[in-house]
Amino acid sequence: MLKINQLSASVEDKTILKGLNLEVKPGEVHAIMGPNGAGKSTLGYVLSGRDGYEVEGGSAELDGSDLLELEPEERARKGLFLAFQYPVEIPGVSNMEFMKAAVDAALEARGEEALSSAEFLKRAKQACKQVQLPLEFLKRGVNEGFSGGEKKRNEIMQMLLLEPKLAILDESDSGLDIDALKVVADGVNSQRDGQRSFIVVTHYQRLLDYIEPDYVHVLSDGKIVKSGDASLAKELEAQGYAWLQGYEDKNGAEEPVA
Amino acid sequence: MSQWFESAIVRAEQVNDWLSPVRAEALQTLKRASWPTRKTEAWKYLSLRRLEKSEFAQQQESAQITPEIIEGLDSLDLTFVDGQLVDLPADLPAGLSIVSLQNATDSVKQWAGEIIGDIKPERHLFGLINDTLAQHGVIIDVAEGVSVERPIRISYMSSEGSEAHTRVLVRVASNASVTVIEQAQNKHNSLHTSVAEYAIHEQAELTHYGLMMGGGAAMHVAGMHFRLAQQATLNSHLVGFGSELNRLDVDVQHRGEQADANINAVYLLRDAEVFDLHSTIEHEVPHCTTDENVRGIVADRSKAVFNGRIHIHRDAQKTLAELNNKNLLLSREAQINTKPELEIYADDVKCAHGATVAEIDKKALYYLQSRGISREQALVMLNFGFINALVDEMPHSALAEWLRPILRNRFASMDVQ
Ligand SMILES: Nc1ncnc2c1ncn2[C@@H]1O[C@H](COP(=O)(O)OP(=O)(O)OP(=O)(O)O)[C@@H](O)[C@H]1O
Ligand SMILES: [Mg+2]
Repeated sequence: MLKINQLSASVEDKTILKGLNLEVKPGEVHAIMGPNGAGKSTLGYVLSGRDGYEVEGGSAELDGSDLLELEPEERARKGLFLAFQYPVEIPGVSNMEFMKAAVDAALEARGEEALSSAEFLKRAKQACKQVQLPLEFLKRGVNEGFSGGEKKRNEIMQMLLLEPKLAILDESDSGLDIDALKVVADGVNSQRDGQRSFIVVTHYQRLLDYIEPDYVHVLSDGKIVKSGDASLAKELEAQGYAWLQGYEDKNGAEEPVA
Repeated sequence: MSQWFESAIVRAEQVNDWLSPVRAEALQTLKRASWPTRKTEAWKYLSLRRLEKSEFAQQQESAQITPEIIEGLDSLDLTFVDGQLVDLPADLPAGLSIVSLQNATDSVKQWAGEIIGDIKPERHLFGLINDTLAQHGVIIDVAEGVSVERPIRISYMSSEGSEAHTRVLVRVASNASVTVIEQAQNKHNSLHTSVAEYAIHEQAELTHYGLMMGGGAAMHVAGMHFRLAQQATLNSHLVGFGSELNRLDVDVQHRGEQADANINAVYLLRDAEVFDLHSTIEHEVPHCTTDENVRGIVADRSKAVFNGRIHIHRDAQKTLAELNNKNLLLSREAQINTKPELEIYADDVKCAHGATVAEIDKKALYYLQSRGISREQALVMLNFGFINALVDEMPHSALAEWLRPILRNRFASMDVQ
């Protein structure tokens, strides 16, 4: 599904990703943890093609096609989805109009037939209910005046409607109450079908109680420095990241988990 | 000199009715006034050349034109066709009175005579012309404490070759609330001056729409003037497009403390359309607020003029005033002339103003693209969203739902780079 090899990238001439390796196979859930400023969000931005994030070296392929060459919308149409750590507010563009355009594009890219307005409305309402947002949120401007938690729910709603192959959830659990945490987890779990894959960026073990990851990675200073199974997240929760100090010198960056 | 203006003055001499004292005074001022040229500040960017040589038929039969239907809007309809009031609603809710200018009773004449021409500032040339020539009009009175649920909708329509002058006077008594929609739908070669004056009393609330949606050869010069008493609220939503001579003068006078005025204006121009919006907000007393948001998109060879002035008098301490004009230029031949002005004579106030040529928010563009939406489509969504954000703020959803596709189609017909 996703193969990232020795990926380096910079923002405003500052190198953030420094030779990152990661492979995600169909159906897998990978959790990425790591200290603030390590480059977790940057990874999502680079993969999704945000302006200003310069790739300096390495590669990233989604199902064999080179992601890094594509426009952001083309990456999305290949099945990549990024749930943003900080979703953007767009007054004047309704959530409904926005999602209809996105779903139309996704269906077209998959060679499926476009939805009628009525069918789309039905699905949108369903998704809205699933993430427990009132239906009027469909009419409001995209994320306009949404609370932090509502924005995160809105991201998950989009994921549900778009049915991506690979979804990267960047701290979709931050700032959420317990109910919302379950909403996010249920959103992911309801889409797990053995084919779709997920990268879940989080600072906390508790999300991983609901979404059982196959692998847990530690991203530090632009690289994956340690990988393991779900138990690694529990260790991290107990120990924090102090052990990272000097860790790399001794061990070097770990090989990607296959 | 303008032939049309000379003939207007001659015609003005002949008007005789209960408003004659007001008319005579206006005529005196008018006779001393000079016809605007390119050097006249208030008309610098809007040419009156076509009007100067125009001749219009006198005293026409009023043509059979009916106002556009706005689905889902349950309004009380007043319709002017070629200046004649052809339709007055029959069943009025208690506390609301609507009478034509000509049928005003003595008691109405008494209060109306005192404020007519008084809320409208004297400097507007076409306001003075309207003072002298407007024989048709309507006087609307909302009694104290009454909330009128159904919006009052005033349609202005003109037939080919007509000249019309209409007058609207609205009194919203204290603690009352009402919605008034002024909707210009002049489509043909014609001239229309409309003046509306609103007296909003203590703690009263007026929701107002000024929809200047004419067509090609229609010439419309409108004035919408508001006077706010203590704790009065004005929410006005203005829309302008469609014709080549489309002028709107808006005046707000804060006369009582804690009055609050919110004005949103939108224009969306194409071809050779011109929309000229002049607004003046007078803060005469302390503790009042003004929030004015003006947004426009201009395409082709069209031209937008925005002259927005906020005048904060010496005594108007603790004023909060914001004035914002954002524009999007879609063509090199399109023009925007914008001049937001703050004139502050009080020292303890919070004010901000600005005019910008809007730029597309890159983060928003990326966000849309990251969801698979093409760059082109995303740009259209964001550009239209820039205007639509103000349509979203219209409290009457039927009106917003009706307007949105009109604006959207208009926008879809424009080229976006
Ligand atoms: N536009 C930018 N200009 C300069 N530095 C930037 C820019 N964007 C990101 N960075 C820097 O890149 C580094 C990585 O940021 P990133 O957002 O990827 O971290 P993160 O791992 O997601 O952290 P967090 O856990 O706090 O979300 C940080 O040091 C950040 O300051
Ligand atoms: Mg981050």
